[in-house]
Amino acid sequence: MQHEVREEDGAVLVAFSGEIDLEHSPKAREVLLECVGGAASVFVDLSRVEYIDSSGVASLVEALQQTRSRGGQLALVSVSASALRVLELARLDKVFTIHESLAEALGGEA
Amino acid sequence: MTAKPPFKPESVPVPAKGQADELSGALGLLAEMTRRFADSVEFTAALAAALDSIVSQLGAQAGSLWLVDEEASEIVCEASVGPMRITGLRLPLEKGIVGRCVRDNKCQSVLDVGQDAAFAKSVDQDSGMVTRSLLCAPMSVADRSIGAIELINRLGGDGCFSARDLNILEVLASSASLALTNARMATAAAEHRRVQRELELAAEIQRALLPEPGGSGFPIHAVNVPARTVSGDFFDFLELPGGRIAFCLGDVSGKGMNAAMLMAKTASLYRCLSKTMESPGQLLGLLNDELADTASRGMFVTMAAGVYYSDTGRVVLANAGHEPPLYRDVQGTYHSLEALEPPLGIASGILPPEGYPETELLLAGGSLFIFSDGLTEALTGTGEQLGSGGLKSLFEEFGDESIRAGVEGVMERIGNLEHRDDLTLLGITDRPPGRIALEFSGELLLKYRFAAVAKDLRGMRRALRKALERIGCESLLAADIVSAVDEASQNVIRHAYQQESAGPVELAVERQGEILVFWLRDFASPVDPAVIDAGRDFANVRPGGLGTRFMKELMDEVAFVEPPGGQGNLLKMVKRLS
Repeated sequence: MQHEVREEDGAVLVAFSGEIDLEHSPKAREVLLECVGGAASVFVDLSRVEYIDSSGVASLVEALQQTRSRGGQLALVSVSASALRVLELARLDKVFTIHESLAEALGGEA
Repeated sequence: MTAKPPFKPESVPVPAKGQADELSGALGLLAEMTRRFADSVEFTAALAAALDSIVSQLGAQAGSLWLVDEEASEIVCEASVGPMRITGLRLPLEKGIVGRCVRDNKCQSVLDVGQDAAFAKSVDQDSGMVTRSLLCAPMSVADRSIGAIELINRLGGDGCFSARDLNILEVLASSASLALTNARMATAAAEHRRVQRELELAAEIQRALLPEPGGSGFPIHAVNVPARTVSGDFFDFLELPGGRIAFCLGDVSGKGMNAAMLMAKTASLYRCLSKTMESPGQLLGLLNDELADTASRGMFVTMAAGVYYSDTGRVVLANAGHEPPLYRDVQGTYHSLEALEPPLGIASGILPPEGYPETELLLAGGSLFIFSDGLTEALTGTGEQLGSGGLKSLFEEFGDESIRAGVEGVMERIGNLEHRDDLTLLGITDRPPGRIALEFSGELLLKYRFAAVAKDLRGMRRALRKALERIGCESLLAADIVSAVDEASQNVIRHAYQQESAGPVELAVERQGEILVFWLRDFASPVDPAVIDAGRDFANVRPGGLGTRFMKELMDEVAFVEPPGGQGNLLKMVKRLS
């Protein structure tokens, strides 16, 4: 798993790629919690995520909960088919805000 | 020709009574001589008695028995009868008629010694005896002369020895040489037996230095097969407080008694030090200095020593110039643990205070093998060295056995190969003992072993994807299956092994017609399925609970079933293909 973090117009964009599995979800969790701790708006790009398991999903859920408790927002962007399948299985596709693209996400926010 | 009379002690020879008597006398003498040599441990007395009988039998004035001293290229008079007492006299091999007889391995008969240039006059001058005629027959064994018997001056008659006398002397001499050779061999055999007894005692002491095998389920087993009676190899393992087990395997340069004694010293020092020193690197450093200060020149010891922590499966290993140990991970991949450090006993003070460098590894359901080079250098049927490849194949062959059965099986196989060196093998594993293999009723698509650690999951997923691809499984379905099996494996890591030890996990996939069956097996303590099943509250998404839900949603059937032999846990998952 790799990740990239950048800021744009006060929002933080974090992009993960590769496999967010039991080995890497602690790192993903750490990155996510750091992002939601430092910005009101966090967008998580999952377009290049090839695999995500329940521990990866749990990291996303934890970050979402933290954001909400701070009054911020966290949305998922360009979710890959395999990641979407897992979110659906977890019945979380309705819990998370999911944008087709970053442009849509940023546009929607503005 | 006049027949010669049988000899009668203390009497003047009497006229002949016939050849039959003479022959029976000679035969009786033969029997007597053979008996004496067989009974006697004292050759000299037996030789003197034999010579005495021969001189009497053939009616000679004097006789002498000579043996070759090969080292000095001389002949030595071992016994003499008659007026000339020359016992102990030494003559150069090339000198005299006896010398010629020995050299040529041929009988010598001289009727008038004055006419024979080889006659050593000095003997005559010393003894004051006048030699007129003589007979000399070689004592030979297998065409090699080991000495000769010489007779001088026939008593009575014309004072001359006859051709018949020569024949009889020849027979008696060869019989004496045979008896002597037998006696020498018997003595050598007795000496050999004595040395062998001592070697066996030494071997017994050596065996007492090796530890007794551990009980059922003990994680270490080792076997030593000496090439000769005593061994230059050794191993040891001992349980220490805190679930630690110290172990080592060493190989002393050379073979035989000096190697055996250095082995005994090294093994004793190791056992003593390992009780107080936890660090195998430091221990080997100390052993090195001690051996370098006191060992014989040119001798050294290669040795690997380590500590196994039974609570975690961790091994700390140090290696002093020993053959690289092989670590077989739970998936069956071998890792050679190379060592670049020198053997023990070559020079002291060459190491830093922390001693030899240490390597750490987690057994994680795998096995570590330490062995002497005798194993890899054993010759296969085609005359090639077994090598590390051949050794690995043997390990694989016994891979499903307990460590004890595996080590013994491998050693039995190598013991049957041609080998010249001591053979020693030590195996250590944290795999549960006596695993019972699963049996499958369908077509086996995949059998994959991995350790219960997060980083091993990726390899498992890849292997599973490939197996599903091979049967043409549609990619979305394959992704679902991979997710379910991955979640089930995570449960094994979290709940069965409880993230404490990286125990072994086995995944087997079989196809039974239109269904796929996934077997996931671990060897941890039995788990209560309710623990894994609990919790699916969205507000409190726990990875374990969520994972279990994935499994149940993605598979058509998920159930814990009774594992073979009641060992560990066995999860069965079924997915219909249609």
